[in-house]
This record gives sequence, structure tokens and C-alpha cells, in this order.
Amino acid sequence: MKQDFIKFPLHLIFHPIDAFWDLKSDNRGRLHVAYAALALTIVMMILQKQYAGFLVNYIDPRTINSIIEIATVAVPFFLWCTANWAVTTLMEGEGKFREIVLATGYSLIPIILIYAPMIVISRFMVQEETAFYYLFNSIAFFWFVLLLFIGMMTVHQYTVIRTIITMVLTLIVMGIIVFLGALVFSMLQQLYEFGYNIYRELIFRT
Amino acid sequence: MARTVKRWLVLLAAVSLLLVNAVPAAASPAPYESYNYNYWKEAVPSPDAYLPERTISGRDLGISEFKDPGDVNVSPSGLIYILDSGNSRVVVLDPGFKLLRVIDGFMMEGSKETFNLPGGLFVDEEERIYVADTGNSRVVVLDGEGTLIQTITKPESDILSTQFQFQPLKLTVDHVGRVYVVAQGVYEGIMQFDESGKFIGYVGTNKVERDYGEYIWRMLSTKAQRAQMVLFVPTEFSNADIDHKGFVYATNIDPGSNEPIKRLNPSGEDVLKRFGYYDVKGDIRFRNNPGPSKLIDVKVLGNGMYSVLDATQNRVFTYDDEGHLLYIYGGKGNQVGTLKTPVAIEQSGEHHLVLDRGKNNLVVYEPTRFGARVNEAVALHYRGEDTEAVNIWREVLKLNANYDIAYIGIGKSLLMEKKNEEALGYFELGMDRKSYSVAFKRHRREMMKEHFGTFLTAAIALIVILILTRVAVKWRRRRQVDREAGFH
Repeated sequence: MKQDFIKFPLHLIFHPIDAFWDLKSDNRGRLHVAYAALALTIVMMILQKQYAGFLVNYIDPRTINSIIEIATVAVPFFLWCTANWAVTTLMEGEGKFREIVLATGYSLIPIILIYAPMIVISRFMVQEETAFYYLFNSIAFFWFVLLLFIGMMTVHQYTVIRTIITMVLTLIVMGIIVFLGALVFSMLQQLYEFGYNIYRELIFRT
Repeated sequence: MARTVKRWLVLLAAVSLLLVNAVPAAASPAPYESYNYNYWKEAVPSPDAYLPERTISGRDLGISEFKDPGDVNVSPSGLIYILDSGNSRVVVLDPGFKLLRVIDGFMMEGSKETFNLPGGLFVDEEERIYVADTGNSRVVVLDGEGTLIQTITKPESDILSTQFQFQPLKLTVDHVGRVYVVAQGVYEGIMQFDESGKFIGYVGTNKVERDYGEYIWRMLSTKAQRAQMVLFVPTEFSNADIDHKGFVYATNIDPGSNEPIKRLNPSGEDVLKRFGYYDVKGDIRFRNNPGPSKLIDVKVLGNGMYSVLDATQNRVFTYDDEGHLLYIYGGKGNQVGTLKTPVAIEQSGEHHLVLDRGKNNLVVYEPTRFGARVNEAVALHYRGEDTEAVNIWREVLKLNANYDIAYIGIGKSLLMEKKNEEALGYFELGMDRKSYSVAFKRHRREMMKEHFGTFLTAAIALIVILILTRVAVKWRRRRQVDREAGFH
């Protein structure tokens, strides 16, 4: 338990190349740890909007909506995993869907680890020190991107160039999925409208 | 009998109708809805700051009706001068809005001269009347009785082209007698004349905003196409006023500009303070049609405040010297207090006067309790008497709990009294992050000074405990090892 939830993730964020390989070959990753990381990231995003110090919090409190916060993190997460799986299957990637979810989930850990203390510290900052807040938040983001990159590279056994290409392609495919989804949704809606109109016609005619 | 009863019933019904109407229907006497913008740039309802008191038309004064009046000015002594452009006359009223005299012409070189569609006027401390006589291409300077002092005609200067048409529209005069003229078709700035009427030069030019799309388009077009394109020249000023320090406030009607109000220092630079949450440009939220505020007049109110008149929605916006929007009043309409075609705004004592060309009258607005309190508090703050301002700000907050400037005002005063923790709350309500930071820095330092001893003791105690537990664990482990080895 301690090994899965604390030791291995901490080892992973500092030694990503080794750890992602262990995750793949030794089956060290746990899906529920990845989902816990996702859940905690969502919680951190919400906490940051609600409780970050006045000097760095430019969010209108009336617009905070936890459901939307969940959607803005969880939807891209699964979209990324699906799109990446779709792309890498065609591009000779060795990763399974489970491994992609694991790598993406574990990559989110630096965001949790940096956001949590920064939310607290930001409440004790004055204007001149807020630069550190933004600095650490950017570090968290770039760390996440770096881990994601190494994770993808290791899981799929790609070269650097190929990883970059697949990651860009993944982003494009994410867009395509969203587009198709919207298309299908609007088609279904029209279909439903059509059926409903016929039903209404029949009801009113008889 | 039946007929009488019927008649009585009808009468009763009529009377009851009358009685119902006798109760005043609306609580707010304003014909417009007052609002202000909050930190999130939303228009939120606000109490009325100014209410229409009366209107003054030519008939009210016992003279013929005004015809397309162009400008109004209140002299430092309090007399009200209305420039009745269509009738080519200047109507002079006393501070109680009673007619004093009408100036409909003046004697020049032995013959009587009249104005021709004059656009603006200004009256200085010595009751000299400066009239921008647009149709006659001159500025006429008269004394209080209407006797000619001098005229300023088309200037002779190397920097003016030979085809230059001098058509003064609006003008203002500083305390040494320099005349600042906003002239038609002059985009180089405001024309400045010395007290003898000699042209000195231009002050303050509106910058041309560079449109990069247009720039690329221009690079791609041929020379012949380029010659056909519109020339990008700065926009003209629409009006000007002067404060007691000799700074010229000027407005322009460039719809794309975020700085349509300028405060020009003697070297022509814009030094208007814009410390508010948003641009000093009238309405900040508007539909594409009718578009942004078109500021056509500016009036310096004293104590750093100034009002601008918007010809798009016919509203008056008042700002303090730091660029905070204080209140908004007026609107489109035909009622008393709403405006048809406003052209000028003035201040007479506590009252604001707006000249309406469309309705040919002068609307007199008087401050409400809210407006008067805001003016008072802003004046105290401007003079640096923040402690006195606090009580008035608190009263303002009772009338309008959404008034951010009041929260900031109270906060600043508390900050000066070193009540840092209390000030924090007010700054947060006023969304003033800069002052909040200052207050928080002081509060944090105080806290640290106060609790440094406790903090250090706790830290040392914690370290000692940690070391002791370490030692204890080690000792126990060694004992265990020893025991297993059979030493005991």
C-alpha cells in the first residue's frame, strides 16, 4: 500500500526513465493510483480556485463550478488516453491502453505535490512575492509535460522525434474526436427531433 | 330613480379611479436607471446620484425660444452664459436662472456685427466672453457687457497650409489668457493662441492606432491602389476644458480609442491618471450598435473630478482624479431629465447643467444625498483629509453597499491609522490588490514580531523532541539487538 501509493510515485517523478520502465516491464503501476492522481488533481484545481490567496486569485467566486472543473480535467485526460492509444496503435507503439492511462495518471503527480503547498503559501504572500507562485505553478506544468513525454517514450519504446510526432498527432486526433462527437450529437438530436415531430403529427392528426 | 343610481355609480367609479392614481406609482423619481460598473465589469444598479430638477427654455426666460443652442458656460463668478447658436446670441443668466441680458451682436469698426452659427464659448475670471464664431472663421472676445475687445482670425504661420480654413468649434482659456481652440478639420491637435491672439502652435495630438491587418493589406497593394486608400490621420478633438492648474482636458470621438479623454500638460503630453479597474472611456459594455460612448464635452468639476458627456446614450459620466468612475446619470428620451441631443455640460454651484440642442433647453440636475456625499468624500480624499472622509464613505456605503471606491477609501484611511488587519477586509471588498498587498505586508510583519518568540520556542521544542525520539528509537533497537545476542 505504502509502496504503491507513496514510494513508487515519488521515485517515479524524480527518476522517470527507470520508473516508467519498471511500470511497464515489472508491472509496478496500479490503475487505482493513476485514478487517485487524477482525482487529486481535480481537487487541487478546485481548491486553488477557491482558496488561493486574494492577491493571486483572479477568479470570480460566482463562476466556480466543481462539475465543470471535473469535466475540464477528466475529459481531456481520457480523451488524451484514447487518442494516444489510437495513434500509437497505428504507429507501432508497444504500449497497451492500460499503460497509457498509467503513464498519464502518474505524470499528474507533480501538479498535486506543487499545487497543494502553493495554495497555502499564496495566502501569506505579498504582491512582490507572487512571482514565485506563478513560477512554481509553471514548474509544475512543465514537470508534468516532461513526465508525460518520458512516459510516452518509455511505454511505447519510441525515439525522441517519434514521441514528439505522436504527441502532436494525439492532440490533433483529440480535436477530431471532439469534432466527430459534436457531429454525432447534433445528428442524434436532429434524428430525435424528426422522430418526435412525426409522433406529434400522428397525435394531432388522429 | 334607477337613472340616478346609475349616475352615482358612474361617478363613484370615476372618483375611485382618481383616488387610485393619486398614490404615486413609482418610488424612483428619475426617468433613467442609474448604474455603475463593478470590478467584474458588470453594470450593476446604483442609487441615483443626480436627479433632474427643472428645465429652462427660452420661453421660461421671457425671450424667444432657443434655436439649436451650441454651448453653455458658467463663469467663475457664477453667471451662466448660453450660446444660442441658431439665434446668434448669447443669453446671460444669474446663478438663480433669471435672465440678466442678451448679447446678440457687437460693434466692430463702427458697424454692428453678428455671430454666424457660433459653436462654443468660454468666459474667464474677468467676465470676458470668448465666442468661437465658426461661420465667420474667427474667435470674438467681448467684455461682460458685450463690447468688443479683440478678434482672433485665421492665423498666419509657416506650419499652416495656404488652403487652411480656420473654423473654431470649441475653446477654453487659461488664467493667463492663452486661448485653446478646437477647430474643425484640424487633426494636429488643439490650436493655442497667446493673449494677444497670436498663434503659438498645437498642443496634444491624438495618436493614430496602427492596424496590422491594414498594414499588411497596404504592403500587398500596388502604388495606384494605395493612392486610392483612405488616409489614416489622427482624430480631431471634440471639446476641451481647463483646470485651475492650467492643464487642458480634451475629449475626442475616435470610436476605437481606449483613451478618449486626455489631460494635457503644458508640453502637450497626456497625464490623465487611469488607476481604475477599467478604461476611462464612458461605457465599457455596449452593443455593436449603437457602439461605444462618443464623448463630446468634458467639464472639470474641481477637486480632481471631471464629467464627460456621451452623445451615444446621452449620459454623463463622472470620474475622480484617479480615474475611478463615480456615477452615471442621464439617458435618451423625451422626459424631463432625459436628453435628446445633448451638446454641453456645465456646473453651477452644486447643480449640473446639460444643454440639449434637440429640445432647445437647459436641464438642471441637482445632486441626491448619495451624489452629494460621494462628491464630498472625493473632495476630502483629494485634499488628503482621509480621516474625515471615512465617516462620509460609511454613509455612502449605507446608501450603496456596492460602492467599491468607498471600501477602498475607508481601507486607505485605516491603513494610515496603522489598523492593518481591519484595512485588509475593506481592500478585499473593494478589490484593491495593490493596497491589500501593502496592508498585508505590514500585518504580516507585525504578526511575526509579535509571535516570533513563540514560534522559535515551538521550533526548538520540536527539534529537541525529534532528536530525543530518534535517540530513543536507536537505543531501544540496540537494546533489542543486544538482547537477541544474549547480553542480558
